[in-house]
Formats: sequence, C-alpha cells, structure tokens
Amino acid sequence: MPGVRLDSPRQPGGARSCATPTSPQARLDEVRGRHLTTPAVRIAGLVKRYGTLEAVRGLDLDVPEGEFFGLLGPNGAGKTTTLSCLVGLTLPTAGRLEVHGADVVRDPRRARAAIGLAPQEYNFDRYLTVRETLVYSAGYFGIPPRTCAERADDLLRRFDLWDKRDGEVQKMSGGMKRRLTIARALIHRPRVLVLDEPTAGVDVELRFALWSMLRALSSDEGLTIILTTHYLEEAEQLCSRIGIMREGRILALAPTRDLTGEGERQILEVTYAAVPDSVPDAAWPGLLWDGARRQARVGDLTPAQVPACLAVLSALGTVARVDLRHRSLQDVFLELTTRQPAPEATP
Amino acid sequence: MNLVGLWTLCRRELRRTFRIINQVVWPPLIATVLFLTVFVIGLGRAVGEMEGLPYVAFLLPGLMFMQIVETSFGESAASLFILRFTGSIQELLVAPLSRLEMVLGLLSGTILRALLIAGLVLGVGLLVGAPYGASAPVHPLGLVGLVILLAVCFASLGLLMGLAAESFDQMSIPQTFLVTPLVYTAGVFLSVHQAGLPAPLALISRFNPMTPMVDMLRWAVTGHAALPVGQGFAIVGGLATCALLGVTAVFRSGWKLQH
Repeated sequence: MPGVRLDSPRQPGGARSCATPTSPQARLDEVRGRHLTTPAVRIAGLVKRYGTLEAVRGLDLDVPEGEFFGLLGPNGAGKTTTLSCLVGLTLPTAGRLEVHGADVVRDPRRARAAIGLAPQEYNFDRYLTVRETLVYSAGYFGIPPRTCAERADDLLRRFDLWDKRDGEVQKMSGGMKRRLTIARALIHRPRVLVLDEPTAGVDVELRFALWSMLRALSSDEGLTIILTTHYLEEAEQLCSRIGIMREGRILALAPTRDLTGEGERQILEVTYAAVPDSVPDAAWPGLLWDGARRQARVGDLTPAQVPACLAVLSALGTVARVDLRHRSLQDVFLELTTRQPAPEATP
Repeated sequence: MNLVGLWTLCRRELRRTFRIINQVVWPPLIATVLFLTVFVIGLGRAVGEMEGLPYVAFLLPGLMFMQIVETSFGESAASLFILRFTGSIQELLVAPLSRLEMVLGLLSGTILRALLIAGLVLGVGLLVGAPYGASAPVHPLGLVGLVILLAVCFASLGLLMGLAAESFDQMSIPQTFLVTPLVYTAGVFLSVHQAGLPAPLALISRFNPMTPMVDMLRWAVTGHAALPVGQGFAIVGGLATCALLGVTAVFRSGWKLQH
C-alpha cells in the first residue's frame, strides 16, 4: 500500500490559510509549539451513566497535538463510550470535552469539523458506491462538490482503492472496507483522528500495512491519533503514550516506554516440582502465586534485582523451571486489569 | 448553516430513490394505470359523474394523493430506518450538521421525490384518462404548493416512524392499520359528500384529516373543491407545520439518535 500523506493543512471546508506553514517540517514545528498551549483533545471529569450503570467515572485526559495515543482496556472498560462522547455520538452525563478548544456539546459544529472517526463496525451507506461514499461524506462536512471529488480521488489512489471506485462497498473485502473507513475519516482533513479498533478482523499482512499508513499520518503530518485496540502489540508499536482503562477509570497513563520499562524491566517466573510448604506474600514485593501451575511470578524487576529474587524463590521449594523475560505491555495490562482491584478514584 | 451538507443529504435521498427505482418509481405508475383501467375504462360509464366531474377527473387527484402519501411517508420512514439499522446514521451524527439541517436535508429529498412521483402519476393519468375527460391541472402552482405541503407533512411523520421502529415488522404497523384506512376513507374513490353514504363511513370521512388534503388536490387539478380553498390550505398547511415542528423537536431531543 502506498504511503499516505495529506499534502495540505487541514481546514474545515477545504480552505487554506496563508499563515499556515505548508511543509511537513514547518507543520511539525508548529504542532510542537502548540503542545504548551491548547491540547488537541481535553477531557475533564467525564461521567457517562446508562441508567444505573456508570460506564465512565470522572475521566480526565489531555492529548497534545501530534500525539499517537492509545486507549486500552478490557471489554466494558469505557473506551468506546469515551470516544463516542468525544465525537458527539453520545451525550456525556457530566464533564467537559474539547477538540482543539471547541466544546463538543456547546460548539459541536467546530468540534466535529476538527475530528474524524473510523468506527470499529462498518457503517457504509448501502446505496452509495465506493467513490460516492467519500464524496457524500465530504459533502456532509460542508466541503464544496468540486473539492469533494478531488479529495475523494486523491484518497482512493493513496489507499489503493482506485480500481474499486465504482463498485459497491458491500462487495469489497474486509481489508478494503477497513481502508475505506479510514479514508472516509480523513476526507474532511481533520486534525484529530479517532480509530476504534482499526485492525479488528484483518489479516496480518494488512495489519502491518495499516500500521505503516498510520505511522506516516502521525509522523509525517503531525496528525493527532487516538487509537483503541485489543491488540496490545499494536498499541506498543504505534502509540507514544498509553492510557489503560478499567471500569470507567484510567488506571495507568504514561508514555509507552515508561509503562514497559523500556525493555529493561523483567519478569521472573519460577515453576516448582511440587507445591512448596508455604509461599509467603512477603517473600518478595509483588510476588504472585499461581497454585494451579505451581508457579511464583515477580514482575517489574531490574536486572540487578533478578539474582536476589531468584535466590529467595529457589529457597521456597524444589525448582523445576525458571523463566526470565522482558516485561511487555501485555504484562502491564494484565497486572492492571485482572489482578488489581479497581481503585476508588482516577489517578 | 451547513447548506452544502443539507444539499448533500437531499442528493443522498434522490440517489437512494434511483438505486431502488423498481421499488419507488415504477410501482406508483403501474398502480395508477391499473386503477384507471379498472375504475374508469371498466366501471366509469356506470359511475358517470362524481361531484359534477367526469369520474376520471374526480379520481385522478385521489390517485395522486395515494402515491404522494406512499412515497413521502413510507419511503422516508424506510430511508431513516435503514440508516439506523446499518449504523450509517453515525456518518450524519459526527458531521457538522445540526438536527434541523438533518431534518431539512431528509425532507427536501422527499419533497423532490414527491414532486417527481406526482408529476409522473399526473402524466400517466392524463395519457390514459384524456379520452374519458381528464385534463391538465387548472391551478398548477397551487398543485406544486400542495404536493410540497403534503410531502412535508407525511415525510415528517415518516421520519418519526423511522426513528421509533425497532424492526421492519414494526415499520408496517402504522401503514397497515392507520395510513391506508385513512387514505381509503378520505374521498379518493368516491365523494364523501354524496347522499346515502353509510353513516359510519360519513363520520370517519368527516373527521379524517386526509379528507381536506384530497379535496385541495382535487381543487388544484380540476378547479372544484367542497371546502373553501383558504380553509383547505389552512388545514393542510397547519398539519404540515405541526408535523415539521414535531419531527424537528424529536430530532433535537436526540431520541434514538444520541445515547
């Protein structure tokens, strides 16, 4: 798939500002300069209730312009609800959401012009062809017909869909539909792109191609991207910062390299030949015991701590096997979402 | 105001119409030809005149009304329901379109479709019925205005149905149990003012809100009306305004659109 570039500053309605730099470097410089002022996305105290169910519980989040941000969590964590509130599909019960300073509820027209959504489920208009899907979508954003056609043709070529332009969307493969979903989200040249599980159900080859395309959008054009995914490797590869949600709250929010310890943090797993007489929790801070597998596990160790920890664990019983590996995002995710009780307040 | 977005939504409705032309455009024309064949060519001599008009001239505005109701109510309901059913309504909800613009966009597409269907039905009616006394509309501008008002009224109600329905089966309930009985008792096929009409039918027709609508269409086509024209237009315009305000208020509330 060809690399994707958006070759002009994103302006609702297709207008170009004379004052806006046009080269990618100038654009990135401008983006970095703005980090200190208004974030691309600001969510403050977001609460969303469905009857008695509280899907999001006082969520605070700032996403600086140009960041590739990952929002992770198990099913029901509140990720999609949060994104739905951000793009205007869901009304928040309380709290404030802004896209480039525009309030999503009070100033929806400006907020929506600045954000593009690529939803998880395919939701194409069944009466439109592939090209019409892009042209009509641009029209809904108020872009004049001639510009709509030019942009649609441009995106069809970049996303390798040109040959299918007059075909029916329903007859396209899943990978093509996924590319069209992202192209449609970009048709009005948003400054923030929201991707809800963009690689769900696609094969490995296309997943890598989509990663490459998204990296180009982020690094070359400075597009702010918010991604939700169940593929932790995907978040680790793409996102510069990650938030992990559970039960409507953010449990961890940090640069990806900090969450995983930049590959220096390690996990030690000791499997015993027989169940030891006792495995005291205090044997080592953070020790987890898996009785079914006769396995003691300690995560988040520095290399220097490993020998001492191994000595302590070896003293508990007859060791059958020792595994030492780097701490991955999956380890962090599992620690936070399955083994730790949900905290009472958002950090 | 996002006029480009509104026009795009209008074009989308027309695009849908021509993508399913066998469902939307041809059936009303074939139904009109069949009704005229049976009632005018087959039974017309037995009926003679109705309210002082040749039967074909009396019947043709009623047939136009039937098809305007179907294309406005049924098709706008189906269009919105399918947008919801497939999730493509999200595309409109994340765009910088106000709820009023959404309603006006959907309605304007329906108005153009209703004008097209009314024109085609009239053309076919004149073609088949001219030898039997059908003639060109006496008040063409009045006819255009009435078609627009009727399309606004029934398309607004159709949009409400498209929002409320949770299944295709539910979609057919108002059409079957309310709209069709009202259409058939509104003076489409026979005069509701003639002597000897069974009392229950006369009572239903008298309070049927569609009766003045058919009467006004008959005025626009033939120049003959049972109601004073001003009063008739006031009733039709009032009903269209109420329906439009109602659907706009419901869209603005976010009911079934925004969770």
